[in-house]
Amino acid sequence: MPENVEFESLVERFYAPLYQFAFSLTRAEADACDLTQQTFTIWAAKGHQLRDSSKVKTWLFTTLHREFLDSRRRQTRFPQVDLESTEAELPAVAPVAVSRLDTSHVLNALARLDEVFQAPVSLFYLQDHSYNEIAEILGVPLGTVKSRLARGIAQLQQLLARDIAAGQAPPNL
Amino acid sequence: MNVNEAKIVLLRYRPETADAEDPLVAEALALAKSDPELARWLAAHLAQQEGLRAKFKQIAPPAGLKEQIISEHRASRQRAMARLLWASVAVLLLLLGTLAVLWHPRSVPAENTLAIYQKQMVRVALGGYAMDLLTNDLASIRTHLARSGAPADFSLPPPLQHTVVTGCAVREWQGANISLVCFRTGKPLPPGSASDLWLFVVDRTAVTNAPAAASPQLARVNRLMTATWTDGNQLYFLGVSGQEADIKKYL
Repeated sequence: MPENVEFESLVERFYAPLYQFAFSLTRAEADACDLTQQTFTIWAAKGHQLRDSSKVKTWLFTTLHREFLDSRRRQTRFPQVDLESTEAELPAVAPVAVSRLDTSHVLNALARLDEVFQAPVSLFYLQDHSYNEIAEILGVPLGTVKSRLARGIAQLQQLLARDIAAGQAPPNL
Repeated sequence: MNVNEAKIVLLRYRPETADAEDPLVAEALALAKSDPELARWLAAHLAQQEGLRAKFKQIAPPAGLKEQIISEHRASRQRAMARLLWASVAVLLLLLGTLAVLWHPRSVPAENTLAIYQKQMVRVALGGYAMDLLTNDLASIRTHLARSGAPADFSLPPPLQHTVVTGCAVREWQGANISLVCFRTGKPLPPGSASDLWLFVVDRTAVTNAPAAASPQLARVNRLMTATWTDGNQLYFLGVSGQEADIKKYL
């Protein structure tokens, strides 16, 4: 069955990065599995509506992010942040001893970021997405993505630096 | 762009990606090449970013997730196919049922059976009818029936040949012409009646289960005692008020 083969090759190609994105957002294995599976279920039902096959990756990440947001039942809209306001928060970037941290510490810090920064920063570090793709996935303008990335990365560095300076890593997940 | 602005821009810079095509990033990178302090900062920043990126990449899906997604998809497709199959079968059965109902009257003409023929002819005899020809002459009756396209060359049992004929009529039944020959038994007739013994003759192919036997089969139909038999290609149906003995007198 060609449709099955197509579906399975799509799963083969994208399930890991989708899971990584989901886990970085939820920090819970079960939730990340559910989000990943739900994304492919939606693809199976609606994927045929996508006419541009080059957009499959973006479509999948967009869907996963939407499902995440729905699951959080967010009530407030994300405020748009200007790049200029980043400057005040820019830390004196002292190299953080990242090697002293494990993944759960990093994700814990990610979870403490302002909510608007979490998804773009996660997609940024997963590195499979250009700025344009991140903008498309999150449904925000390109300039907003760049702004949120800069602010989010700066915030993350601050949090990690603070944790390390305090001599206490964030609690494990 | 000053050094501080360049640092802000370079926060979101990832080497070996399309990020360097961003005009601001490109400008900041150019500045880093000419500014040793910015270059040192960038090197430290990139090292740190590489470490963070590695942490994200360490997120591994649990074993079996891929297989679970695929197997659930297959199961879901099978369920959908089964539903589609059952729906198709249901539609097909409905269609066949509808066609069967529509075609049934034509393929199985239930109105052509002997029992229905007998009942309807008795109803004609008892219900009143208008004779096309009133005559006591059997030859005239045969001529009239022949002209009307109804069976006229029928043969009468000897007792009936000596019974008084009173007239005839032609009836159409299921596309076939029926000859109705009326007789008098000699008993007093009910008021308004011209006959009390009736013979119906029709081509035997007009009745699906016409008996092949030449010997009369007696049966009570409604208020008449009747006899049915076949002779040649014709089916005969004789009816009279009374009992078996009353009709046997004419066979």
